[in-house]
Amino acid sequence: MTPVHFAFSSAFMLSLSGLAFYRTHLLSAFLCLEGMMLSLFIAISLWALQLDTTGFLTSPVLLLAFSACEASAGLALLVATARTHGTDRLQNLNLFQC
Amino acid sequence: MTYIMLLLLMGMIMGLVFVASNPSPYFGALGLVAVASVGCGILVNYGGSFLSLVLFLIYLGGMLVVFAYSAALAADPFPEGLGNWFVKLLVVVYMMGITSFSFLFSGKWHEFSWVPVDEISEFSVFRGDVGGVALMYSFGGIFLIIGAWVLLLALFVVLELTRGFNSGAFRAI
Repeated sequence: MTPVHFAFSSAFMLSLSGLAFYRTHLLSAFLCLEGMMLSLFIAISLWALQLDTTGFLTSPVLLLAFSACEASAGLALLVATARTHGTDRLQNLNLFQC
Repeated sequence: MTYIMLLLLMGMIMGLVFVASNPSPYFGALGLVAVASVGCGILVNYGGSFLSLVLFLIYLGGMLVVFAYSAALAADPFPEGLGNWFVKLLVVVYMMGITSFSFLFSGKWHEFSWVPVDEISEFSVFRGDVGGVALMYSFGGIFLIIGAWVLLLALFVVLELTRGFNSGAFRAI
């Protein structure tokens, strides 16, 4: 495993474990999701850049567009949660079952 | 260039350790800004200057402004940075995890191959990725239409999620 492979795969694993294990705020979970998409973007663009296959370089840009969609949906969920529950702490989502 | 790349890769891992170790959203967004900047540096060292520019504009120009707004919405009176003991504990745990991961999988650190695209080691603007991204408008036209459709769908998803009197963004005082 080259250092670049090690770096982006460990970045992905770090963001995934940070999303999965313990989160206080909902916004921190979305930040971890953004970190996952960022490591995927770097991985998919370094794949095409290292192999000189420039025809595949459209895929990271489209991935970035999809990650923007994901971030906007997540932030809309955050706004809705802050309106219905008053805060975005994940304990309150368990507390009020609604 | 090899040492700069190693520094950038380690910076990416350290920044994501900080993001993953549950700080307050202010510091988490700051760590994500740092990780995005370091990712731009990695892409520039590989020769993808246009991709680096796009990443910089999207993450630091667009997304992080929205995240700053949302961090102001989800305000925290006592933000927890690296000074908190729990964040420190999680940083130590994630660093131990990364170290064990490196012992498992990075046995061959001599496999260094930094080959920038077009094999030009200098910084220049017209590299291969400019033409590669421009292929999106000729051969990838159908996927471009799908992407535009997905963005439109995301607009309606956001409008539907923040609609109504109870969960809307506007608040009747």
